[in-house]
Amino acid sequence: MIPKIFNKYLKNRRTTLLAVGPMSKNCVEATIEIANEKKVPIMMIASRRQIDSKEMGGGYVNNWDTKSFSNYVKKRDKNKLITLCRDHGGPWQNSLEIEKKLNSIKAINSAKRSYMEDIDSDFKIIHIDTCLSLNGTEKSKKKTLDRLFELYKFCSDYAKKKNKNIFFEIGTEEQSGTTNTQKELEETLHKIVNFCKKNKLKKPTFVVIQSGTKVMEMRNVGTFEVPFRVENEIPAEIQIPKMIEICKKYNVLMKAHNTDYLSNEALSCYPRLGINAANIAPEFGVIESRKILEIMEALKLKSLKDSFVKLSLDSNKWKKWMIKGSKANDYEKAIISGHYIFSEKKFSNIKEDLTKILKKNNQSLDKILKKEIKKSILRYLYNFNLIK
Amino acid sequence: MKPIATLILNRNLPKVTDKLYRTIKKNEGNITDIFVIEAGSSKNNLSKYATWHANSESVKKKGLRFPRGMNYGLYNLWKENLFDKYKAFFLITNDTVIQNKNTLKTLYSILLKNKKIGILSPCSKKWGENKLLKKNSIKFTWYIHNHAYLLNKDLLLKIINPTSGYMNFLYDGSNFRGYGLESELIAKAYANNFAAAITNKVYLEENEDYLLNHNDLIKTESYSRNLKLSYVEGLKWMKRKYGFNNKWLLQNYVKLFYDNFFVNYPEYKKYKI
Repeated sequence: MIPKIFNKYLKNRRTTLLAVGPMSKNCVEATIEIANEKKVPIMMIASRRQIDSKEMGGGYVNNWDTKSFSNYVKKRDKNKLITLCRDHGGPWQNSLEIEKKLNSIKAINSAKRSYMEDIDSDFKIIHIDTCLSLNGTEKSKKKTLDRLFELYKFCSDYAKKKNKNIFFEIGTEEQSGTTNTQKELEETLHKIVNFCKKNKLKKPTFVVIQSGTKVMEMRNVGTFEVPFRVENEIPAEIQIPKMIEICKKYNVLMKAHNTDYLSNEALSCYPRLGINAANIAPEFGVIESRKILEIMEALKLKSLKDSFVKLSLDSNKWKKWMIKGSKANDYEKAIISGHYIFSEKKFSNIKEDLTKILKKNNQSLDKILKKEIKKSILRYLYNFNLIK
Repeated sequence: MKPIATLILNRNLPKVTDKLYRTIKKNEGNITDIFVIEAGSSKNNLSKYATWHANSESVKKKGLRFPRGMNYGLYNLWKENLFDKYKAFFLITNDTVIQNKNTLKTLYSILLKNKKIGILSPCSKKWGENKLLKKNSIKFTWYIHNHAYLLNKDLLLKIINPTSGYMNFLYDGSNFRGYGLESELIAKAYANNFAAAITNKVYLEENEDYLLNHNDLIKTESYSRNLKLSYVEGLKWMKRKYGFNNKWLLQNYVKLFYDNFFVNYPEYKKYKI
């Protein structure tokens, strides 16, 4: 049960499919361009905070809503190599649903409307993540699974009605009680596979499991590359092969989230280990922000640089990424949260000034930024055995 | 005849070592002889029960660390014709905390019942692996990271190198701090039709306080520096020896032997982790 476009990569050779978070307009364009240049399929995974339906307020990326984002991608993706995917769809995954303190019925209905827009806009892979409640993580495993089944059936029925062929991703890397331990994964897959059988629905294509990755600040602090024990955690050396074994048993592909910043050596093991797909997102936003600041520094544009740093810092979006007791300075914090403010008017003015300055030297800011993002995407394509 | 030789590795912590020695002697002295390896300890920091003292200038300066230290002890047993006296070897560092009075008895009884176990490691209560074990059980695994092992002599006889001094007697002594050597040992076990097992029938803990807060007394690097060096050296070692560029390739290598073991011995599948 996989989209045809991935057949060649998953059936005949060991690869890890790449899923890129649409962190910015440049990131989206860079992804489309590289997919078409290299003739390789890439998934584009939009979270609801990044891009959501108009009704939900769109999202922080380029003032797009689901439909306009989809249209933008489809228009540029000449060889149809981009697979649009919803990442972490589900109730309370959009900040508005939390701000409005929606109860569970309203939040689920809101999530349903968001999914309808996704399906109407040709999103192909729908991630149903029901790990949240209004107050953070949902503690009741039963509620988490009931909501998953409800949304799974709803999306399947809606897609059928609209004659759309969609695929599903379930699970989460967060502590949710559903896919974090071997026992939980086994139980969840058993239940969902039975549910699908009973309701004559497609089995999920991907399941997200905790695979020893976690992004904080500008590095991966998970156990995947940590050489020694973490108290009370099963070593990644045992956990990952075991989880993949369970996925194989149920014929569901394993998808890793938070793969950003891993070393080439670690990434090149993904296909070998049997990790079928991997999400990378904030790293691309960080790359763009860092490059902008580097250019400003190189051109000694102190005032512009200070404005960008201040705007980014004031957004407070860096806070959720910080390690406890972090020693990161303001410049680093500004890099971490830079992409959250790319759509703001004040940033557009800063960017416009910088663009004009570079233009005098016959340089294009967006081209420079896209080149930088592409370089990073290439690192993943190469290590995941998707290109030679 | 006592079936087990216990080897305790000490460096400049005589009181800690003496206490551990006395605990084992008192509780299980009937089934084990105890040997203390002094890894370059200074003269005034020797355990009362020191058996051998590695005291070359280089060892005094840097110590032996677990792999070379255990090589040193095992090699001396070999040289002194004591190796064959024992059925199993219990390798521990001096910061090991033994709470159960029947620790060795329990571990050895597992070896006796499961002749295929070449390496047996008691769990720590802090290990995530406990989630994989039912109460009082054993599982065969492809990955163990520990400071305490009971090794089956039958396995050792297949893999030791007694001809070239202590350096590579059991572990590859060229990897000083030893990151990756446990995995290599486990691969060798499975390659020789033995298994590596973990158990929670007894627990052993490591009192890391000594390494974390008293590295000056031990005369070694700080805990965090030691971890970093260990990883860096280990990666260099696996590249040099196997051409592996990261830990996952070594894990893959070990797991191939592990999976193959159950093809050859399907009757042990119940012990698969």
